[in-house]
Amino acid sequence: MLSHFLLMVTYALIVSLFFTLLWRRDRREQVKLFLQIFLGMVGGGLLVAWLMYPFPSGPPAPIP
Amino acid sequence: MAESGSTPAAQQAPPAARPQGNLVVAVLSAWLMPGLGHIYLKRYGRGLAFFVLVILSLIIGCKLEGNLYSVVAGQPLTSLATLGSMGVGFPYFLLRYGLHYQGNVMGAGYEYGTAFLLTAGLMNSLLVLDVWDIVRGKKE
Repeated sequence: MLSHFLLMVTYALIVSLFFTLLWRRDRREQVKLFLQIFLGMVGGGLLVAWLMYPFPSGPPAPIP
Repeated sequence: MAESGSTPAAQQAPPAARPQGNLVVAVLSAWLMPGLGHIYLKRYGRGLAFFVLVILSLIIGCKLEGNLYSVVAGQPLTSLATLGSMGVGFPYFLLRYGLHYQGNVMGAGYEYGTAFLLTAGLMNSLLVLDVWDIVRGKKE
């Protein structure tokens, strides 16, 4: 089953792990940056979803 | 007109790492297969981790039937997206020409899959730049 939330978390996990390994060498720094990016992406996504909640979804997008 | 070596930032910067490896071989291998450039430079753990992350992103994108970009006439932005997707190197060509991968615009995960596929290419492009910096001694 396709879960929007699960895909968002998976995407955030991959990207945050990637940048953590790319930008930091020290383990403590890695954990700190990972949490910042991961929680920023997931939290930001949830915040935007929450802000968009009152807006009507409208008709489905046309298929190109 | 202060010299760059006398700025506080330059004084605090860590000493430059020793240049190593062949630049062309390192960059080419980094582009051809995710993580291979790091493995060539003896960063085995990081190379393996990068390989897993980029390939995982690619596999998820394919499972979701996302769009693996190619240039479409009359749509100039697809050139940029194609360049980004090609950043993943050999797997791009394997998917497109070896496995004849086609995204499914009707698939429920099409947009998500496209994001995963494009991200895989962009991540590997960053790995190429990282390998470049390591070879030039700008990074450890």
